[in-house]
Amino acid sequence: MKKVFRISILGLILLLVGDISLSAQSAADIVKKMDQVVYSPKNMKGKNKIILIDKNGKEEVREAIVNQLGNNKRLMRFTAPASQAGISVLSLPNDVMYLYLPAYGKERRIASSAKNQNFAGTDFCYDDMESVQFSDKYNSKMLSTEKDVFIIELTPKAKSDYSKLIIHINKEHYYNELIQYFDKAGNKFKEAHYHFTKVGNYWSASEIVMTDLKKNHTTKMQMYDVQYDTNLTDDDFTVRKLVE
Amino acid sequence: MAFQTKLAELIIRLKWLIIIIVVALSLFFGYGLRYITINPDIISSLPDGDQVAHLYKQIGNEFGGNDMGIIVLETDDVFTSEVLEGIRQITDSIQFTQGISYVTSMTNIMNITSSEWGIEIGKLVDEYDLPSEQKELDELRDYAMSKEMYKGTIISDDGKATAIMFTLQPEGDKQSVAREIKTKIEEMKLPWKLYFGGLPLMMNDVNDLILNDIIWLIPVVFIFIAGVLILSFQSLRGLLMPLLAAGIAILWTIGIMAYIGYELTIVTNITPVVLVAVGSAYAIHVVNSINNSKTGDKKKTIVKALTYIIVPVILASSTTIVGFISFVFGSYLLMIRDFGVFSALGTAIALLLSIFFVPALIAAFGKEQKIKSTTKKESKNTLIDRLLMPLVHFVFNHPVRTLSIWGGVLIICIWGIFQIKTSINIVDYFKKNNPTRITENIMQEKFGGTMPIFLVFEGDIQEPEILKMMMKTETYMKTDPNITIAQSVADLIEQMNDAMGEGLAIPDEKEKIEQLWFLLDGQEIMEQLVNDDLSKGIIQAKFASIDSDEMETFIKKMEVFINENQSDNYIMSITGMPSIYVRLNESLIKSQYTSLLIAIAMVVLIVGSILKSLKKGVITAIPVVTTVIILLGFMGITGITLDIATVLVASIVMGIGIDYSIHIMTGFNNFIIAGEGVDSAIEKVLFFSGKAVVINVLSVSSGFIVLLFSQLVPLQNFGLLIAVSMIGSGLGALTILPAILILANRKKNSINNK
Repeated sequence: MKKVFRISILGLILLLVGDISLSAQSAADIVKKMDQVVYSPKNMKGKNKIILIDKNGKEEVREAIVNQLGNNKRLMRFTAPASQAGISVLSLPNDVMYLYLPAYGKERRIASSAKNQNFAGTDFCYDDMESVQFSDKYNSKMLSTEKDVFIIELTPKAKSDYSKLIIHINKEHYYNELIQYFDKAGNKFKEAHYHFTKVGNYWSASEIVMTDLKKNHTTKMQMYDVQYDTNLTDDDFTVRKLVE
Repeated sequence: MAFQTKLAELIIRLKWLIIIIVVALSLFFGYGLRYITINPDIISSLPDGDQVAHLYKQIGNEFGGNDMGIIVLETDDVFTSEVLEGIRQITDSIQFTQGISYVTSMTNIMNITSSEWGIEIGKLVDEYDLPSEQKELDELRDYAMSKEMYKGTIISDDGKATAIMFTLQPEGDKQSVAREIKTKIEEMKLPWKLYFGGLPLMMNDVNDLILNDIIWLIPVVFIFIAGVLILSFQSLRGLLMPLLAAGIAILWTIGIMAYIGYELTIVTNITPVVLVAVGSAYAIHVVNSINNSKTGDKKKTIVKALTYIIVPVILASSTTIVGFISFVFGSYLLMIRDFGVFSALGTAIALLLSIFFVPALIAAFGKEQKIKSTTKKESKNTLIDRLLMPLVHFVFNHPVRTLSIWGGVLIICIWGIFQIKTSINIVDYFKKNNPTRITENIMQEKFGGTMPIFLVFEGDIQEPEILKMMMKTETYMKTDPNITIAQSVADLIEQMNDAMGEGLAIPDEKEKIEQLWFLLDGQEIMEQLVNDDLSKGIIQAKFASIDSDEMETFIKKMEVFINENQSDNYIMSITGMPSIYVRLNESLIKSQYTSLLIAIAMVVLIVGSILKSLKKGVITAIPVVTTVIILLGFMGITGITLDIATVLVASIVMGIGIDYSIHIMTGFNNFIIAGEGVDSAIEKVLFFSGKAVVINVLSVSSGFIVLLFSQLVPLQNFGLLIAVSMIGSGLGALTILPAILILANRKKNSINNK
């Protein structure tokens, strides 16, 4: 009797371990698949509406025209509010970023050594804005499989402000629906809800709602008038173009 | 007399009921003690209607808190990788404590740099890649020590100490958050010397000292008073009754406080001590009266004694209550008001216990000591009588000289009153060698202190005019030797403008400011400097000195500056701890006079109405008014400051000290009514009531003198002053009053003889 019991325990352990290794394998695959969907090379033009909502529910709206080439060249030109119209940000590979302030008529290269700082009043930090693929930045572990989504835990490979991320990936289309961010003390402090729509051949994040749970501050990023496979080239992402 | 006698008989008849009720209530209130909490926060005691306090609280709510904690790490050199790692750990640990708004330290402080190639808005060091090579560390040192933003702010001038500053969220239990942080960091067992300072942490230390005082001092006070009682009465009854009455009064009072949700504060924690001293007094008089009224029959003795003593005891307690109640109208701090209310309540309870419970107990358990009824003469040989005799002789032989001596003392003391200094700073609560005070000195020396100042600007914060005014104000503030640190969003705008290549200045065009804002937006520091809709911005500064005069000078100077520089486009105002301290200081003096005047007026009215003569009321008040003047003069001459505890003394003395005169006056009246001549009435009253007065003075002063062992400076001074004043008013009642009565009588006789 005792023996049988022991064997069944062993069997159970084997089963569990086996399952873990199995899901670790597939979790990594799923995240890679998501990266392919979300970061599929894009040559894109579109408009961006950024809505900042503070803890009292007060909204502040910014609008920008966004051009993007591949995953690592992006030019954002703000059109609203009036006080920020014309401010442009050019992001190039390897964390190179240029800023143009029309009131000064000059561009400056800007950098942030601290990736955990929020970008221009949004709830997205420089780290969140980076176009580095999840599978490169994180180790993944399957937590559970729900009806529509895979729930996967991501732990950073390098030092990070996040202790872990929990990501919900759509089973059918492999885009992320939800990301929960946990701080170094293990508390959930940020949460992003994604809404993807299909534009042509691509899945496009038409809305991202990022909430800072500690500050009770929300940023809604909406993309519209999105066009893919446009005629943008590297020449459209130069400092000269930024100042124009 | 019929009423007193009827009441006395009723008390004896209902003795068991009274005893049962008292025991039941004591159990009930004793159970309530478990709910009592301590609140050492002086800010929470400021009335909401106060403008400076209101603004201070408002700034706290709008800018993530106004309570600042500072941890100082001291070592040989802060620019080593080990120390930086330690700072990072401390910073992280504070960051992830619930109830914290912001942490600023070397490892997370913002840094704006500009060079030919561009701007970098980042941190002084990368917390994920702390400098470890000697070259990197040297560069960091050179850079940090060259910038005003860091040197003397978070790194000491000698590079041997660094500060980690944090702001506590305005809502929530700040004390427990501060305590949690301190415990967590101490548990890290870091190899460097750490100091914990700032108001929330200081409050915790005050809290511990209050608790310590309550646990250690109250029993000692009881022992001291017990000693005096044994020496005076030389009987178990004389020892137990007063202590029982006082103890039960304390129990009920604190129990009531707990049940209705009041907290013990730095001031209300004096209440128990006051009640030991005051509460025992009425029972002393009752017991003394019973001892003096021996009839051979226990019941008759008690009735006779109560009939004699009820009126003077009620009178004595009502003046004491009035003394306490005067704080309700005269004080500015809520904790002083609460002290008045609960001490008055406790006194009333002690009175009721002395009149009902003490006689009931004696009736139930006491034995009539028959032999003693014949030893009246023998009792004159006790220690106290030996003390009284020469005094009585002197007063009788030299009434004019007696009054002249008092007059001389008064003149010196009136001069002394003008020398009184006030002190309200919490740092002054601690003794010179207390670690908290030492920490505070280090904070002052190395990091410009811990006392926050906020200059508030209301208007469109992105307007160049306001930002320029902010810079002008900062520059002006820094001309004061006590201001080393001042920062606002204007500093950041200047640095950003510089980074854009247009120099360290506020740009003249609003568009430029708005666009620079784009980059600053979302930086954590912005929330501490401007509000959400940019209608309000603050200059944060710290004041280094704890000297009231220096604070007052600074605040006055700033107020003039603010008035001169107001504009239609913005409103400027100042708040912060120095402003609050200055306000408290003013209010302290006002409180002192208001409550004192109320106390004097009420006492004269009460005594006058009972003695049915306003003149007698005034005469009765003379010794105690004299005492109050001597008290204030004594403070001025010895340099004991007027603070939140010592401000209470004068009115308490008024309320308690008058009792001695009341006992002498009513006794004198009784003897006159009984047909005695003036001289013989005075002599009799001096021996009869004089003894109770001396016992009372000794027991009250010995009770208060115990406060000298308190860990809190205001309480030490409070105890000393009350003791001195009790002796003063006792002496006054036994010398000034008889001298006046003798002189008045002689004058009357000489007129009659003419």
